[in-house]
Amino acid sequence: MFEITAPATPAKNGYGNLLRVVMAATFLALLLFFTLYAPGFATLSNVESVLLNNVAPLAIASLAITVVAVLGAVDLSIGTAIDFACLVLVTLILHKTGLTLAVTAALLAALGVGLFNAFLVVVLGVEPFLATLGTLFIGQSVQQLSSNGGQPIYLLSQALPPSFSAIGHGTLLGIALPLWYVLLLAVALHQLLQRTGYGRAFSVLGAQASVARYSGLPVPRLTAAAFVLSSLIAGVVGLMLASNVKAWVPLSGNAYLLNAIGAAFIGATFSASRRPNVPGTLLGVGLLSFVANGLLLIGWSFYWQQVATGVLIFIVLAVGALRGRSQL
Amino acid sequence: MTDLSPNVRGAGYTVRPSLAAQAGRYWMPGGAILIIVAVLAVFAVLSPLFLTLGNLGNVLQQTAVIGILAIGLTLVLIGGGAHSLTGGIDLSIAANLGLCAAVYAVLLRQGYVSGLAMLGTLLTGVALGLLNAAAVVWLRILPLLATLTTMNIAIGLEMVITQNAPVPATGALLDLLISAGPLAIPWLSWAFALAALLFIVLAHFTRFGLRLQAVGGYPLAARAAGVAVFRYVALSYVLCGLCAGIAALASVAVLSGSSPGSNDNLLMVIAAALLGVVFSRRLVPTIGGTLISGLFLTLIANGFQLINISSYWINGVEGVLILLVVSLTAQLRRRQQRRKVSV
Repeated sequence: MFEITAPATPAKNGYGNLLRVVMAATFLALLLFFTLYAPGFATLSNVESVLLNNVAPLAIASLAITVVAVLGAVDLSIGTAIDFACLVLVTLILHKTGLTLAVTAALLAALGVGLFNAFLVVVLGVEPFLATLGTLFIGQSVQQLSSNGGQPIYLLSQALPPSFSAIGHGTLLGIALPLWYVLLLAVALHQLLQRTGYGRAFSVLGAQASVARYSGLPVPRLTAAAFVLSSLIAGVVGLMLASNVKAWVPLSGNAYLLNAIGAAFIGATFSASRRPNVPGTLLGVGLLSFVANGLLLIGWSFYWQQVATGVLIFIVLAVGALRGRSQL
Repeated sequence: MTDLSPNVRGAGYTVRPSLAAQAGRYWMPGGAILIIVAVLAVFAVLSPLFLTLGNLGNVLQQTAVIGILAIGLTLVLIGGGAHSLTGGIDLSIAANLGLCAAVYAVLLRQGYVSGLAMLGTLLTGVALGLLNAAAVVWLRILPLLATLTTMNIAIGLEMVITQNAPVPATGALLDLLISAGPLAIPWLSWAFALAALLFIVLAHFTRFGLRLQAVGGYPLAARAAGVAVFRYVALSYVLCGLCAGIAALASVAVLSGSSPGSNDNLLMVIAAALLGVVFSRRLVPTIGGTLISGLFLTLIANGFQLINISSYWINGVEGVLILLVVSLTAQLRRRQQRRKVSV
């Protein structure tokens, strides 16, 4: 349908495999370098904190991107879904609504973003990139209007229900809840994509759109489902954000966009099929998060980290593109 | 779309003009201009200040930065084809502007002469354009992804250079640009009009421009006709970077320095370039159309300010306008293609 990645071709080519090995070795070398030279990088507390604060939200945002990327499209509006879910949850908690109701409403808000995207893409026939860009614009306006131009809503002075804090800080069997969300979502999504007919249809649509259409797959329904699922998953990040920060800060969701897209494409580059996939995405998330953390610990400023992350993603995209060419 | 069909943009020329093509040819530009006139009339009635020469000169000055960026983006859209995902797009253009403006302001602060600082600024823009061109043409990364990444690199570099703080800048050239010229309109506005004219000539009345249109419209045919397709696409990205450098000069003049947050312009630039499609008979990007819609968007922002509507509406209005135009053109193209198949 919308070819964002190369068609699925198994990497039989030795050059392609070599590049994969070189990439993996480079990343391992980076991690080793940080372990040796970044003070406190390889300590349990640092790894825990990175997993909880950086990996967990980025992983879920990246899974949202992955759903749509499998289809060969891109969703620029995951930030909007994140912000909307966060806004609704924080507002309802502020007004003493029950947690279950508040969480449901928050996820519905995220779902609304997905439905709007699906409407634009499927019914109006707008390209996903432009459709989700439009959603992003409108979402920004809505947030600015509802926040008087960017005033955050704080919950700090409130007596909060303990279960609200638990969303971001609770533990189950000694493991933090956000990591459970990642695990559950990743496993569920992987199963959906790899083991069900529905999921296979997603992949077919992404890899060979015309084949999918000629074999009678319900292309519009699949496309709509992908966008709705993507926004719903992004909504979970909004819930975690609300519980962690105890506030809604307008337009904070967009911060995840580039890294999430980067992670999904790093994943595609590393996998043998060169298609976006769940384990690859998680690998990409881990690499991006730990490299950023390592750079922070060896004393690079936030500004240089931004440059370095951009360069890193650029290199990965370039390597992926070169691999694609070597197979032609 | 794995279509083997050409990158159809306004297929009316291959068959008898269909109803849809006629709609594209006459109704859309006509309707769009009517809407603009109606909106301007409302503003003029609601605010007596709106139609004054001073305000309009002001608007032209405000459009300069957005307008030149949108011209650059339009060149990329022309050369890259209509398909929004595999087609040409440069998301890094506003971030590039920020980086160039930072370079210019910092060079001036370091005491470099104006000419050298300008050269450094333009070269910065071109360098990022070259990076985009290499990524898109040589490495064949999708333009969307490649420029999203270079956008982040540019934002990062700008923060490194300026420590994310405003850098004031002064200079004879900057003072001249914002001082009033003939007709009490700032020199910047005149310079902008001249630059716009040059780019219109370049894109629509030279061999380069026509070939660029051919490359974007029907790459296979262009290649068969012996046009070095990749070179033209690469050039469009480099020119786009150059536009960012030029716009940076204007931006530093208007803001008396560089300031963080240039990337916020991206939405408006994309909106201007995409909406401009409405003003061409074949629904293709044109420099003229881009300029009209850029001016229109600035007028909306200006009008909202004058009649005291919160500026927070502007993003939403732009988003809705883009979606309207894009979905309308998508419908028209769909109908045209259906007609072509049936013929």
